[in-house]
Amino acid sequence: MNWSIAAPAVSAASLASIVEVVEAFTIVLAVATLRGWRPAALGTTAGLALLAAIVLLLGPVLNRVPLHSLQLAIGILLLLFGMGWLRKASLRAAGIIPLHDEDAIFAAEAALLDQQARRQQRNVEWVAGITALKAVLLEGLEVVFIVIAVGAGRGLLMPASLGALAACVLVLAAGAMIHRPLSRVPENTLKFGVGVMLSAFGVFWTGEGLGIAWPGQDLALLLFAALFLAAGLVGAALARRSTMEVVQ
Amino acid sequence: MTVLEEVAAELIGMFVAEKRLTLAVLGVVTVAGCLVNFTDLNPLVGGTVVLLGCVILLIENVWRSARAGAS
Repeated sequence: MNWSIAAPAVSAASLASIVEVVEAFTIVLAVATLRGWRPAALGTTAGLALLAAIVLLLGPVLNRVPLHSLQLAIGILLLLFGMGWLRKASLRAAGIIPLHDEDAIFAAEAALLDQQARRQQRNVEWVAGITALKAVLLEGLEVVFIVIAVGAGRGLLMPASLGALAACVLVLAAGAMIHRPLSRVPENTLKFGVGVMLSAFGVFWTGEGLGIAWPGQDLALLLFAALFLAAGLVGAALARRSTMEVVQ
Repeated sequence: MTVLEEVAAELIGMFVAEKRLTLAVLGVVTVAGCLVNFTDLNPLVGGTVVLLGCVILLIENVWRSARAGAS
């Protein structure tokens, strides 16, 4: 295994998994607190099974796509996805959009479940289970995309999946121990880091897909990551300054 | 909204965080592709266009979004 590309790939999958599992855990915890662990566990298991099925189905299909076409398609998608995360993280770092507040999300989700239970006296467990399933499925889709995107084409699907799974287990274990939303996880910093890595991978694979031989091969990823990190920080600084100018 | 509709919306939202940024990135990649495939320039010129183009687009988009949000 080539660690210069495997290490950032596994790190990106693990860190993204932490961010998304923290978000999903908040909703699953709200379901468990209000409706019990049974619908929460069933919904979560069904969501994880669906996500695993997507990885198992898409992985072999992607291996049949010609390498350059696959790299180009995944490279462009990674650029769009990674730059989207980096943009949002920069705006959050600058205070333009509010940080993710897990406690507030927990309260909102609990209120929504309460409202739904009053409207539908029957099927309360069903609604709670579907809520947990949706949370796991929707948050997990981003992790699945990252695992497939950084893993496919380089034989890294298994290490990237294991990295994401390990992070998932870590977050769930922490959540089970403290039994409340994981609001102290530095979500925006993690999102910033993952955005930097995915954007770097995006440029790298878009270039390889176009037939460009990057100088230094895989090591070029480090330069790309440094440039995107600088861009995110400069963007956040400019955003902060322009807000202050408007306020003054 | 059904679960399937929500999944579809999530998938679109994953890649279209902001329409202008998405279109601009696709434009930069297209230009780089044309430079690599239809000119005699060193392919690294196309690579540089993708790299620096995306970096500049990111900074511009964050700055512009901040101005729009703050005003």
